[in-house]
Amino acid sequence: MRRLIPIALLAFGTLGAAPAAAQEIVSGISQDVIQITSNYTGTDIVVFGAIDRIDTPQNRNIVVVVRGPDTPMTVRRRDRIAGVWVNSDAARFTGLPSFYYLASTEPIERVAPPRALARYGIGADYLLPAGVFSHHDPQPFRQAALRHLKQQGLYAEMPGTIDFLSETLFRTRVPVPANVTRGQYNVEVYLFRDGEVVSAQSTPLFVDQTGLERRLFNLAHNSPLIYGLACVFMAMLLGWISSVLFRRPV
Amino acid sequence: MEIYLPVAEMSVYWLLMVGLGLIVGFLSGMFGVGGGFLMTPLLVFSGIPSTVAVATTLSHVTASSMSGALAQWRKRAIDFPMAGVMLVGGVGGTLVGIWLFALMKKQGQMDLIVALSYVIMLGSIGVIMLRESLATLRAYRSGAAVPARRVNHPWIHRLPLKMRFRQSRLYISVIPPVAIGFVVGVLSAIMGIGGGFIVVPAMIYLLRMPTNVVMGTSLAQIIAVSIITTLLQATNNYAVDIVLALLLVTGGVVGAQLGVRAGAKLRGEQLRLLLAILVLTVAVILLWRLVASPADVYSLYLGPAA
Repeated sequence: MRRLIPIALLAFGTLGAAPAAAQEIVSGISQDVIQITSNYTGTDIVVFGAIDRIDTPQNRNIVVVVRGPDTPMTVRRRDRIAGVWVNSDAARFTGLPSFYYLASTEPIERVAPPRALARYGIGADYLLPAGVFSHHDPQPFRQAALRHLKQQGLYAEMPGTIDFLSETLFRTRVPVPANVTRGQYNVEVYLFRDGEVVSAQSTPLFVDQTGLERRLFNLAHNSPLIYGLACVFMAMLLGWISSVLFRRPV
Repeated sequence: MEIYLPVAEMSVYWLLMVGLGLIVGFLSGMFGVGGGFLMTPLLVFSGIPSTVAVATTLSHVTASSMSGALAQWRKRAIDFPMAGVMLVGGVGGTLVGIWLFALMKKQGQMDLIVALSYVIMLGSIGVIMLRESLATLRAYRSGAAVPARRVNHPWIHRLPLKMRFRQSRLYISVIPPVAIGFVVGVLSAIMGIGGGFIVVPAMIYLLRMPTNVVMGTSLAQIIAVSIITTLLQATNNYAVDIVLALLLVTGGVVGAQLGVRAGAKLRGEQLRLLLAILVLTVAVILLWRLVASPADVYSLYLGPAA
């Protein structure tokens, strides 16, 4: 957080010094890397920016979208068979982001017509999966996926959470929960005027494990035998130590 | 205080996990079982994915069995040839179990199979132990001598490939121990258990091993099976979380030692009655979760299909 202020000043400073001609919106993020360490329990990033033309708030809207890397999703439905709940039917979706956070000045239905929202993938309901694999109607499965993602805090839509510090400066706080996937995220900032995107900017954000966590994860996947031996050795060592420490008298 | 688990890719309260290890370790030390059958369901209840729960519990089993086996080894109460023969079956069973595990993960029936195997295994073992311990307690109260049932298994003696086990004072076919080892190996891979609560009765009632070597020999065999299963789970399913294992094992080994002391104060049949109640409770909770209407019939799995 301490790093935020100088970066913010720097961003605004360059904006004032060299006004980009066509760019009507300039934005930045408080940190471009989120490092998952052993005590990582989620964090907040701050997305901030400035618009260079003063409009009336009525026709102008800002939408901030943070998208995680795409991940395949499998939704299963349980049915009662002989009294026991069994996974019976499934649908698979590909090309949906593993994390989706949206902040906007207004509820998105009031920002733009559905067609424009679908084109930019703004709003969880307007996200289109690249592939759908299902034997039946995938709609209920898709809705169930969205419901679960929202419950797990991986998808969220927060209209009205963009604060204006002045008529042109804005910022919003994006909570990144503990259960996010590692990879490249994109922070997208859209400026809408009368339902049309007039300016947009995208900034990458990297989420990665670091230090010991990263080494352990890599070891588990790259040298699983050594990793497994390490687990076994650790267990045997602790078992042995305890039997020595607690040795007689019972 | 939360700690991030690198393989499960989630945060847990580390004290909760150490506490879980401590409690399960205490019970396993008290009852002389590995505790896997308690650990796996408890981990699943606390939100750990069942694949990681099954694979990681085995480290806990290795550690607590190690602790117990060393004590038995000092007493020279381990029949190593017998443990070795059982292990031959155990390795085969583990390989089959790991294969089944991966297959079920693919089919999306992992949770169901794990839960069903638990309900069946724990339900039947619990009922048998409950009846046996109650009968013993009743006989003890009425002052009658406990009838030592000595059932003969003539078919076991007719099997080929006989081998002499000096420490167990047995001359039997290797087929029954290999078969028992195989069954336990399969269960170990699917359920994340060491299988002590199956191996011990099987050694006593089927193989007729003397009770003084049963505990040590079963522990030695369980250590070997849990080590092999851990290695196979790590290399095939990438499901062992070393941080979680460390938390569980730390609590587990301390709990196990305290449990052994507590157990020494109780009589055998009282211990078996308590264990039976515990086993049945876990079975009933798991059964309830299978038949109760879920809050949401849809479930979501992120990531590539296994």
